[in-house]
Amino acid sequence: MANTGWDEFEIGAMLRTFEGEAGDTVGTLQEDRNYTQNSSFSASVADWRIEKPVFNKDFCIDCQFCWVYCPDISIISRDKKMIGIDMDHCKGCGICVEVCPTNPKSLLMFPEQADEESEIANWPAKETKEK
Amino acid sequence: MAFDKMELRDIEVWDGNFAAAQALRQCQIDVVSAYPITPSTPIVEGYSKFLADNYIEGEFVMVESEHAAMSGCIGASAAGGRVATATSSQGFALMVETLYQASGMRLPIILNVVNRALAAPLNVNGDHGDMYLGRDSGWIQLDAYSPQEAYDLNFIAFRVAEDHEIRLPAMVHQDGFMTSHTAQGVHTMDDDTAYSFVGDFKPMNDMLDFEHPVTHGVQTEEDWHYEHKARQHNDLMTKVPTKIEEAFAAFEKLTGRKYNQVEKYDMDDADVAVVCMGTSVETAREVASEMREKGIKAGVVGLRVVRPFPFMEIAAALKDIKAIAALDRSSPNGAAGMLFNEIAGALFNTDSKALLTGYVYGLGGRDLTKKHLTDLYTELQANVDAGKVLTPLQQFIGVRGPKLAFL
Amino acid sequence: MSEMKKIKNLKEFSTSADRFEGANLLCPGCAHSIIVREVLNATNDDLVLAASTGCLEVCTAVYPYTSWDASWVHIGFENGSTAVAGAEAMYKALKTKGRLKQPDRNPKFVAFGGDGASYDIGFQWISGCMERGHNMMYVVLDNEVYANTGGQRSSSTPIGANATTSPAGRVSYGETKNKKDIVAIMAAHNIPYAAQVAPNKWKDMVKKIQHGMAVDGPVFINAVSPCTTEWKFDPKDTMHLTDLATDTLVFPLYEIIDGHELNITYRPKNVIPVEEYLAAQGRFKHLFKDQYKYLIKEWQERVDANWAYLNRREEARV
Repeated sequence: MANTGWDEFEIGAMLRTFEGEAGDTVGTLQEDRNYTQNSSFSASVADWRIEKPVFNKDFCIDCQFCWVYCPDISIISRDKKMIGIDMDHCKGCGICVEVCPTNPKSLLMFPEQADEESEIANWPAKETKEK
Repeated sequence: MAFDKMELRDIEVWDGNFAAAQALRQCQIDVVSAYPITPSTPIVEGYSKFLADNYIEGEFVMVESEHAAMSGCIGASAAGGRVATATSSQGFALMVETLYQASGMRLPIILNVVNRALAAPLNVNGDHGDMYLGRDSGWIQLDAYSPQEAYDLNFIAFRVAEDHEIRLPAMVHQDGFMTSHTAQGVHTMDDDTAYSFVGDFKPMNDMLDFEHPVTHGVQTEEDWHYEHKARQHNDLMTKVPTKIEEAFAAFEKLTGRKYNQVEKYDMDDADVAVVCMGTSVETAREVASEMREKGIKAGVVGLRVVRPFPFMEIAAALKDIKAIAALDRSSPNGAAGMLFNEIAGALFNTDSKALLTGYVYGLGGRDLTKKHLTDLYTELQANVDAGKVLTPLQQFIGVRGPKLAFL
Repeated sequence: MSEMKKIKNLKEFSTSADRFEGANLLCPGCAHSIIVREVLNATNDDLVLAASTGCLEVCTAVYPYTSWDASWVHIGFENGSTAVAGAEAMYKALKTKGRLKQPDRNPKFVAFGGDGASYDIGFQWISGCMERGHNMMYVVLDNEVYANTGGQRSSSTPIGANATTSPAGRVSYGETKNKKDIVAIMAAHNIPYAAQVAPNKWKDMVKKIQHGMAVDGPVFINAVSPCTTEWKFDPKDTMHLTDLATDTLVFPLYEIIDGHELNITYRPKNVIPVEEYLAAQGRFKHLFKDQYKYLIKEWQERVDANWAYLNRREEARV
């Protein structure tokens, strides 16, 4: 829509989220929905990030704290399991890492250009509490 | 339908407010969101009484301010149904923010504006200050000069506004008290005929269609705003006049009552003409007839459609006139009057050699008398005879104190 | 009446398919969208939403993008409440007249507004909506400041906060007026339900939202929304700040039923000193200078007094 002229869009600056009928929105996961280009789901804010979260599933207990407290709908949970991060919509705030209760954490922040596989390979060990 | 029809006599004696309320009933408005203000209150009181007596089905939301009244209308209209309300003066002024929002969101709300002066000083009587305040708001503005026209123009307003090619809100204006509280004979339509003229409401981009969720009222910045405003102006300039003409023609076919964007009275051979709005048109017509008995070929032009301004039609109506008076019933507060400016703009670049003068009159309900108009026509004829304007370009009529004239 | 969504635990909650989308323009770490997600995910019913002008609105509907999967309307700064009330009136009218396109649906009408839009400029509009008994919910995203316009004080800004129009300076400790008790004011409209919520206590939030959506009539919700930009803390600490807000009792969680029955819904096991809440935010930094330390003591006294008041009201059942 970048260069559309005044006569080329809907009146009233009205926007539609879905192509055709929405159907059962609450019963349809995002990947199965038919979004229009006007849904911000179709857009990306990946370039906002300076740091990115990396998910190490080996330590995850699927508590879903990261899912409920993610402001950007970027924690992908399916069938009650955390399966990954939506890197198009993650802004890199780091809340998911802060609320992660495992030891070591299952999510950690790294510079945006860090290599995910090598960071997981070098994941920190469990911290022991000093008595 | 679960509500009762109302038996009307062919001619009912109604004031302008009740005529408008009856029109709203016959259009079967779904939601009225309203706040009382003199002199428009009886319109929404009428709707609520019709609701209480089961002459209509719908929701009457009595809110806590005119701003909220129009806000409620916008929410209801965006939800998808027929919506109307009424206001005047200060209430209109309080609504102004939402007027721009309603038109920018392309919601076909009908607002009956019973024209009243704007404070300060506070005043409840009729002038066109509120009408003029709304003239850049992107609404269609129709002006009724009598209770009959207040009734008729509501149907026309709905038919034009709700058309999917238009989808713009419309105001139906009438003069406070002089029309709104003056009972006259009104030719009615029966309920079925009246409703068939506006037809069933056809939803568009309605929020209550859960299969097609819609986002209304977005933000557009420098990269989009201009295109949206341009689109709205384009539709007002190119689409609305055609639809109004179509609605006028259909209404004439149905009722025999003919409306025009620019109403002309005694204009065919006129040398001098007065251009005005509202109840002043009738007074001017009477005086014009009397002037003709005195040998002055006087005519009257009434503006029926204030916005979109009928630029070409007004130029055509005044094409052969030698002297024109533009009568503005609103203080321009530091400029020539709106009608003066619009007419000057319409005639500029044409072959017209008309002598154009402006008159401010009737502020706060001050009477425009036949004597005022007789003097005015006499001045116009003197200008014609002299071949130039002999008076200042802007004069105040009927104000006490030393003669007030400018330009 | 539609069936209430079953949300026994967080795992079950996480199966929700969000109706609010990412790539909105809210700041990283903004609590607004955490609250919006918890509200929207509390129900499976259709939604008709509105927002007053403010951070949420300007960040989720910037042409040509919308972040809303349900119908949504914005008019102006003061009238998000009345926008949804108008839509609710139309729903009732069309239901009566048999003109709903999907008559079997049970839509919920929800409006969101910031504290500026709710405590200040839209106060009268909300009061009107509460008084008239619309079947709607109004949710305040209370970040105690005009964040969208750059940090001016609102009537929700608490004493001692450094805001751009009540700045701390050589002879000023910032905001001098105490926060308006909007939940009490709205409850005084004798509405069926008013509550204060916080996004960290998601279960309390969901329970209250579900209760609010189930009752017939207007519902008022005040949600604490820590603002990383204006409260001045690291975006990663949003939930930590929310925990401090609830566990210092600066933002006690409670509900008021039918205008009088007050229930405290969260009692922290370990109440944290208010000083820790203040110390975590840049907007209160100046209070830790010697000359203003008395204000920290007064803060604690105010919070204690309010907590005692809430407890007395709960006990008295009035």
